[in-house]
Amino acid sequence: MSIWYRRESNGQWPIIALFVGPALLGYILLTIYPVLLTIYNSFFEIRPRNAAAFIGWKNYAALASDRTFWLAVRHTLIWALVAPVLEVVLGLLLAVTIYARAPLGRFFRVAWFSPVLISYVVVAIMWSWLYNYDWGLVNAGLRALNLEGLQRSWLGEPGTALWALIVVDVWKWTGFHLIVCLAAVHGLPQEVIESAEMDNCGWLGKIYFIVVPMLAPTLIGLLVLGFVGKMKVFDLVWIMTQGGPLWSTETVSTYVYKRAFDWNTFDLGYPCGIATVWFAAILLCVILFTTVFRQREKLEY
Amino acid sequence: MKQLSRLSVRSALFILLVLYTAYAIGPLIWLGSMSLRTTSEIDSSHYALPNTFHWWKFHEAWANSNYNNYFWNSVFVATTSVLVLVVIGAMAGYCLARYPFRGNRAVFFAIFSTIMLPPQITVISLFQILVKYGLFDTLTGLTLVYIGVQMPITLYILEGFFKRIPRDLFDAAKIDGYGDFEIFWRIGLPIAMPAVVTVMILNFILLWNEFLYAVVLITSDEKRTLPLGVQKFMGDQFSDIGMVATGAMISIIPVIIAYAFFSEKIIQGMTAGAVK
Repeated sequence: MSIWYRRESNGQWPIIALFVGPALLGYILLTIYPVLLTIYNSFFEIRPRNAAAFIGWKNYAALASDRTFWLAVRHTLIWALVAPVLEVVLGLLLAVTIYARAPLGRFFRVAWFSPVLISYVVVAIMWSWLYNYDWGLVNAGLRALNLEGLQRSWLGEPGTALWALIVVDVWKWTGFHLIVCLAAVHGLPQEVIESAEMDNCGWLGKIYFIVVPMLAPTLIGLLVLGFVGKMKVFDLVWIMTQGGPLWSTETVSTYVYKRAFDWNTFDLGYPCGIATVWFAAILLCVILFTTVFRQREKLEY
Repeated sequence: MKQLSRLSVRSALFILLVLYTAYAIGPLIWLGSMSLRTTSEIDSSHYALPNTFHWWKFHEAWANSNYNNYFWNSVFVATTSVLVLVVIGAMAGYCLARYPFRGNRAVFFAIFSTIMLPPQITVISLFQILVKYGLFDTLTGLTLVYIGVQMPITLYILEGFFKRIPRDLFDAAKIDGYGDFEIFWRIGLPIAMPAVVTVMILNFILLWNEFLYAVVLITSDEKRTLPLGVQKFMGDQFSDIGMVATGAMISIIPVIIAYAFFSEKIIQGMTAGAVK
């Protein structure tokens, strides 16, 4: 069978080229070429109307002592480590609750997923209103609970702005994790859950002793997916705070954007350097995660 | 007694679910109600429901604040990219799933791995490239970039689907004298329709909402897509909350309508990348 197949594929290069060619061409022109160009550019100083000047590793040296960059890295890492955990934990709890045959399960599913579909621009506008000092729902709620002292300008103070943004992110993405967890919970063998029920295992015990270990691959996958996604976070920050106040919500993506298109430094080389470093960092994390988790999976079986 | 405690746990859970639902869709309902109220009505009471429905606000935003323009730009960019993506992606996915040629897996993983690229690694040089070829600040340029951005996930989903179709089916067609392209067109593609639709919905929603590439690659007002238009309107009419809400609603209504009809399909499509 396989010999027959290989012989067949020999005469078929024109067909293969015709089928894969367009996608491959698009991939080379729109992904590979720009990536290589960015890495190449990071060794140059590129100002409009000037020829690009080769400056070697200077951009990278400058980056090492760029305080704003390190702040941005810190904020992005906090975001990428905290938000996925909150989203996955909340998503899993909700999934188990729906699985426990709560009435109206279908309706809840559809309602909870809807924030995922709303564009960041609209989400950002809506939430900056909810955070409004005078009439936003958050402060109005605090007033209603007689907690006037806790009122603040959530996006306007360096101490709270980043966390306020993370809450919005969690609001938007929990539904996504919930749906994936729900599908995974439904995939669990019925007997296991039933036998736990016989052993009089409580609701929380069931989650902790059965659901979490059995869903570990899915949960880890979601955490990694979330981590990589949050390392790129841009839209929400750019529309709600533009990295302010006092750099307190600056992320790597917004800093790249500012240095490339918003500040009048007019140098495209430096932001390319930041992008290259960040690309390498993400790549490293992904490789690390996959090897670590693959190792652990091996141990288990 | 046990029955009673079980019932109370049940109802506590249910209340929790209702609370979470209010948290998840409350803001959207609030936005919807503001889009039908005037700013002075909103200022007097921010969380009231509309007394009279001011539908004229939608017409006002559509006709006088350029929303018709933004809307059709978004329609053009998203639809064109989705169609091109699905044709190119289906051909490549079919071929990679069905023809075991040398380098097959290399091509697949090369394209698939770009799924985790941060957009910044391409956006600056795409800006330079588009400027160089006169495609900067054009809808064509943005469409091309979108095709590149969504190619990995498209290919991943379609290749996976084609791979699950039993090979006997294609062999039978071959014996019946079908050519390679005919087999793809008459047999592969129709069978893969569920995956094709999933991919189209997923790409459409992601591109309809896309912001970063658009904000870098589009500058003139008449070429703005909806996310850019809404953001600009927010900047210009900051205090006119009512109209900003109307504009925001215009940009999400198509998604909501699609969601009302195809909720299962959309949920499936959006999570397709995560469920293996």
